[in-house]
Amino acid sequence: MSVKKVALPPVDKNVLSQAWGFVSTIMTGMRLTLTIFFKQLLKLEKSETLEWPEAPATYGDRFKGRHFLTRREDGQVRCTACYLCATACPAECIHIEAGQHPSNEIEKFPVRFEIDILRCVFCGMCEEACPVDAIRLGPEFAMVGGPGENWVYTKDYLAARPELNSGISSIKSENNKHSTIDHEPTAKERKTELHFGAGH
Amino acid sequence: MTQQQATETLTFSLNNNEVTVPKGWTVMQAAAREGIKIPHFCWHPGLSIAGVCRFCMVKVEGRPKLEIACNLIATPGMQVTTETEEVKAAHKWALEFHLINHPLDCPICDQAGECSLQDYYMSVGKYKSEMTLKKVLKPKALDVGGDLVLDTERCILCSRCVRFEKEVTKTGALGIFDRGDRAIISIYDDKKISHNYTTNLVDICPVGAFTSKDFRFRKRVWFLKDIDTTCPGCSTGCQVKLYSKPEERRYYRIKPRFSETNGHWMCDEGRHLYAHMNPEKRQRTAFTPKQDNERGSKEQRVRADIRDALAFLKLKMAKYAPSDIALLVSSQLTNEEYKKTFAYFVTFLGVKKVFAWRDSAENIEAFDGLLNRGDKNPNTKGHAASLEAVGLPPVVSKSGFADAMASGAKFFIAIAPENTQGFVSSFDDQLKQLSAAGDVALFTSQAEHAKNPAFDLVVPLKCFGEKSGTFLNAQNMESKLAEKPFFPLNDQVKDLVEITALLQEN
Repeated sequence: MSVKKVALPPVDKNVLSQAWGFVSTIMTGMRLTLTIFFKQLLKLEKSETLEWPEAPATYGDRFKGRHFLTRREDGQVRCTACYLCATACPAECIHIEAGQHPSNEIEKFPVRFEIDILRCVFCGMCEEACPVDAIRLGPEFAMVGGPGENWVYTKDYLAARPELNSGISSIKSENNKHSTIDHEPTAKERKTELHFGAGH
Repeated sequence: MTQQQATETLTFSLNNNEVTVPKGWTVMQAAAREGIKIPHFCWHPGLSIAGVCRFCMVKVEGRPKLEIACNLIATPGMQVTTETEEVKAAHKWALEFHLINHPLDCPICDQAGECSLQDYYMSVGKYKSEMTLKKVLKPKALDVGGDLVLDTERCILCSRCVRFEKEVTKTGALGIFDRGDRAIISIYDDKKISHNYTTNLVDICPVGAFTSKDFRFRKRVWFLKDIDTTCPGCSTGCQVKLYSKPEERRYYRIKPRFSETNGHWMCDEGRHLYAHMNPEKRQRTAFTPKQDNERGSKEQRVRADIRDALAFLKLKMAKYAPSDIALLVSSQLTNEEYKKTFAYFVTFLGVKKVFAWRDSAENIEAFDGLLNRGDKNPNTKGHAASLEAVGLPPVVSKSGFADAMASGAKFFIAIAPENTQGFVSSFDDQLKQLSAAGDVALFTSQAEHAKNPAFDLVVPLKCFGEKSGTFLNAQNMESKLAEKPFFPLNDQVKDLVEITALLQEN
């Protein structure tokens, strides 16, 4: 491709007029800044800044934060240990060990289900791959801990940590295995049940 | 098929290509040979023709309706097409019918990933089902004996398993019961299947109706890699595929592959011969006797590098006259290993006391009529041939171990078998006797064998999945281990070709 040459715009040679240009733009900006500053100081306008972590911060339901495992109606984990999340995971951070469930109805369940959260890239592929809505990424975004913190999340932690408020049930019911979602998720089935935001 | 029949051929047109096949062949056989894939469930090259799945439809020019390729005997001049729109529609609708009552529980089904139903759904399936009625529910996860778990819901009633029971093992333990959409595969009156070939049913089942107890839920098949190798379980030498997850150095299962030796089948006993190769069973490092200035455990031996152990072995061999050294070798090494081992120990060092490490109680001549032989060592013939090659009597005696103990040797170089199934009860006794017999250098792949601290010079060996080489089976046929075997457990385990090379170099 050829390069099209264009002439530069004419330069203002008057120094005073140049200087006025700079000063006036700065003043326009400062006017806006100071207006908002004093309005918010005098509580005439709501501030968008959060005092996190003292005040809670929220993200929408679609945020891809810390994982959780959903549960069946009777409280057991919904996961069937099919390894599709582990297969889809680009970071190879999901480790599953499958076992024979005492009930023939369920048949296969995860004896171990672990996520190495430090390797996780929060891409959400596990959530997409899951055929039974067993794993989801929740809105908890703050994961803080010292060297003693256990960064490998176990099955119990993923399904029943205190923040989960006694567990989140799956939107896919066990009795009607192969149906698609036939109802709007109830409050119990939504992620917003989670307490989140206060990073500790 | 006799020679004369095989020479009679005929030519017909398959997808507009002229193909020449022996007289009496079906279109399915011809297509399989030509590499044309006709979707099918009930046809299996090792079983009789049933024609029940109605899935392998092909178009024959001049005939009003589609025909099933598996039961269509090729005739001269016949014009067969396998990929017309009409045929595709037939496949699509046949699959829709097969899936009417299939539970689609692929997430918990072990067959997922190698399931014909899944594959055909992706390649020729009708993605949107027309079915509005509820699925018929049937018994799941039934124990039907052997290594088998039966799920009658997943079954598509292809009857391969029933024919296998009838034709191959001739036990007839399975049948189809009930009718219509309630028809199920089942055993008769709780008479569980009990023969040595049950897991073949898992292989031939095109869906996940039969799954193996041994492999159940242990690994999804798409994580596994396979190599073509030979089963080391007995002197039949079945051609098999060995499945492993190489990153874990773990082995998961063995499946047969077609060959002249074993046809399409193998026995359950051979299928379990992967477990001894897993890391927890293996001898990982060499042991050498503890020197006075060395610290460590209370045991009289310390872990050492294999090179140090071999250097120590050479020092020790130098202390004894060749006539005081006995070489005790199992019949489970490859021909190449025997050649190198005997070349070094017998020809180069002059050890003349060479014995076979066998069990005197083993029933070498036993044969179950199908595949399984009583001689549980894969290379008895090769062992004998290699002995002859270095001028020793080509006899692999069952009493080799006792002879070695009675030979008056003071230093035993003992190369242990990796599979001790053939040792009826006495292998532990033999190890005990060996430990008490004098100085021993034990070559083994199994940690179990070297458990006794009296074995203070131990060299770790590779197992068959990590080796290449050849066996000579009971019918004098050469069978190959994998040309590209799996990566060994660690850099300490070696086969005897490598070990003799190390012994010669330093």
